[in-house]
Amino acid sequence: MDGRKTVLCDKHVAAGAKLVDFAGWQMPIQYPRGIVHEHLLTRRQCGLFDVSHMGRFIIRGGGCEAFLRYVLTNDAAGLAIGNSHYTILADESGGAVDDAYLYHVAPHEYLLVVNASNKEKDWAHIEEQANAFADVLMEDRSNDLAMIAVQGPQSEAVLGAIVEQGALPEPKRNMLGRIIVCGTEVIAARTGYTGEPMCFELFVDAAAAGTIWDALARQGAEPVGLGARDTLRLEASLPLYGHEFGKDRDGADIPVLACPAAKLAVNMTARRRAFIGQAAIARQVQALESYKQGDFHRLSDLPRRVRSLAVLGPGIARPGDAVLADGDVVGCVTSGTMAPYWKYRLEGERACLTDEHALRAVALALIDSRIAVGTRLAVQIRGRAVDAKVVERNLENRRGPVSYAILHT
Amino acid sequence: MNPENLRFAETHEWACLGGGTVVVGLSAYAVEQLGDIVYIELPAAGAVVAKGKPFGVIESVKAASDLYAPVTGSVVEVNSDIAASLDAFKTDPYGAAWLIKVSPAKTAELDSLMNAKGYDAFCKAQGEH
Repeated sequence: MDGRKTVLCDKHVAAGAKLVDFAGWQMPIQYPRGIVHEHLLTRRQCGLFDVSHMGRFIIRGGGCEAFLRYVLTNDAAGLAIGNSHYTILADESGGAVDDAYLYHVAPHEYLLVVNASNKEKDWAHIEEQANAFADVLMEDRSNDLAMIAVQGPQSEAVLGAIVEQGALPEPKRNMLGRIIVCGTEVIAARTGYTGEPMCFELFVDAAAAGTIWDALARQGAEPVGLGARDTLRLEASLPLYGHEFGKDRDGADIPVLACPAAKLAVNMTARRRAFIGQAAIARQVQALESYKQGDFHRLSDLPRRVRSLAVLGPGIARPGDAVLADGDVVGCVTSGTMAPYWKYRLEGERACLTDEHALRAVALALIDSRIAVGTRLAVQIRGRAVDAKVVERNLENRRGPVSYAILHT
Repeated sequence: MNPENLRFAETHEWACLGGGTVVVGLSAYAVEQLGDIVYIELPAAGAVVAKGKPFGVIESVKAASDLYAPVTGSVVEVNSDIAASLDAFKTDPYGAAWLIKVSPAKTAELDSLMNAKGYDAFCKAQGEH
């Protein structure tokens, strides 16, 4: 197989992973026990992910705050050292060049993590803008810095067990800190792409990545491939560039705020200075505000929104399937799969997972902004209209350390 | 190694003639390639299927694939248990995971399918591509 290998590729091969080409990388799509097993173990124990294929840029220098405030939709000036946030590289028309995570790792030093498939495009985009700013240094650290995600309710215990010096970051999403594991300094951040409340992403020297991977596995973390990474993010309604961001199926820009998750990535406070896409995004914000009042006269600024769907009838909604309301096409599925879940009993607000699992079809769809949560729709699956419902979310992950499926009827 | 009494299509369905009906299923190789099977759609008894034409759909987490009839005829029985016991594809692909039974129009159609040895070689060649 062609394609670049991450420093952990030999580990995946040794574990029996099935490798696929992903954005020019040879990546594990799954390990021998399969996607369903990997999904479920992440929701219950601790999943171990090689995400070293993603792009990692260090941006530093006295001018970097001003620069980052201009190229990213979130406000780097509001990001304390030791914290991180979700952000977007927008274009002037208010579409996404990419979505990304920005980590404030040291004074005037940030780490920007971008999608593997967009890395070159992103680098060119921000480098071009950097020319207008003084004292900004950009470094592509994707090769010498590996990235390992540790996700799931047991991730804190697993990672905690191998910390030799320093403390895990404060237990609040997005916090980060430096710890020593396996004799190496590592940046550990409470971030992830699985929807798990308990989650870490580690930035480690490429030379130490294999040792750290093995140490985490010895503590009980199990490797999880890109297949389950996709079902986990989809069950948690997390957007993926190329599906919920970027171009829609007709080749038109998807406005960034079509994605509910983008609200966390866009900062429009009064102190905000000019940034790329600001005017277009301001119109999207106004449209969203007016929608809340039931006023849709700004519909052209944000005609469709990404919504979570629960597919209630038989079948699996797949990208490109039409979404119908009373027989009329109102949008299109952007991501869809069958996701496994642990059956559970609710005791108060706490879920007690049982040892049984089942499957349910979940999807994300770009649909007419006028359609409200709770609306019954249909998805056209292989020529048949299958019952579906617009839902707020398919995964409950805001109540305690264990997430659980929300089963819609 | 694939069971010797079966015939195999290039689309990985198996067919087994016995007592005037043809039992149809999906090969262990196909199951392995698909990964976790999470959904299946089969025709109703009485439906007519045509050799080489889709008769149902099988879906893994990642994608949907058509199932192709290895023989022309009418469906006399459908495995109604399989949707609720998808693990059978992994544990018993040539037994409990059968899909449909077909009353064949022309049993001679089975002659164009591969035998176990031919199918083994076919799968090996696929793996090398």
